Amino acid sequence: MKPESEKYNKVLEILRKSKPLLNSTEDIENKVVARISRIPGSEITLTGIIDFMFGWVYIGWVRRSMIAASMVLVMVFIYQQSVVLKRINYLNRQIVIIEGETTTTPADEIERRIMIYKLSGRILPSNRLIISEKQLDQLLESVTELQGKYKDLLNLIQEDPELKNYIEKKLKETDHTGIKL
Amino acid sequence: MIDIKLIEECQGGNFDNFRKLVELTSPFAYSIAFRMLGEEDQAKDIVQETMVTIWQKIRKIKSAGGYKTWIYRIVVNKCYDHLRKKKRHPEYAVDEQTWALISNIISEGPSAELENRETSQIISLLTNRLSPKQKAVFILSEIEEMSGDEISEITGMHKSVIKANLHYARKNISEMIEKYL
Repeated sequence: MKPESEKYNKVLEILRKSKPLLNSTEDIENKVVARISRIPGSEITLTGIIDFMFGWVYIGWVRRSMIAASMVLVMVFIYQQSVVLKRINYLNRQIVIIEGETTTTPADEIERRIMIYKLSGRILPSNRLIISEKQLDQLLESVTELQGKYKDLLNLIQEDPELKNYIEKKLKETDHTGIKL
Repeated sequence: MIDIKLIEECQGGNFDNFRKLVELTSPFAYSIAFRMLGEEDQAKDIVQETMVTIWQKIRKIKSAGGYKTWIYRIVVNKCYDHLRKKKRHPEYAVDEQTWALISNIISEGPSAELENRETSQIISLLTNRLSPKQKAVFILSEIEEMSGDEISEITGMHKSVIKANLHYARKNISEMIEKYL
């Protein structure tokens, strides 16, 4: 043991033995009783409410648990925000923005756009049209299907001269002479 | 030893019984406050404030067992707050007279007993360079001889924090003793 450690221990030993003495408790008793008798009931109630609401901060493990819980909540919030942002970015990528004045678009894409323009009844604004890829595919699929059915119908009419004559007669009656069978 | 019956009677709002409780509690509350603050008047003020707090929260006490730890917690927290405020204006000067006093006491041997004033001088001198946290841990562990668990329960500090603060306090005080004694 080093000499300074011995001295340290001796000093501590003496300090431990010498317990500070309170000569008289009477003075403290009187002052305390005087103070507590002045405390109105409402103050005690207010203290009680504050203690009830925030008393947990004096309990170490509760305080630590609350800190941990708040950190977890913050982490969950950050994670949730990142998921939402990812989802928004994904949806953004799903949207096809068609610029009317774009010239670098491939030929089949232009054809598709012209078709959509025609299908929309030529009422779409010429500069911008926003549609998702999925919607676009559905639209093209139904147009192709419709065109196929139209061709089948024409073939049926061509094969049956009676039917053809009947339809031509009806078209003349309703003044739809522009349609050729 | 505090009797639970006395606490229950105080919970009923009886000033006379509370006076008795103050008489029983004040000496050890004063002892720790004095050791932590090193000033008689301030220690008495802390005891008074502690007793008022006890009166306001006495309804929370369910057993006599936890009463002493609870008192310690209130006293230590009040002293800690006081030290933190005081720490804003730190003053330190080498006090040769006190070092001579310590030297004399050590030479007297373990039978030496200190007066309150001497205890105050020595503790103030040894702990002057410590932070409030280190001082609190040093007093509770080295002078009051409390275990890490007890200190943790009283101060709300984690055991590792207590160990680190105690290590620093011991090192600092040993160095001072080595240098000046």
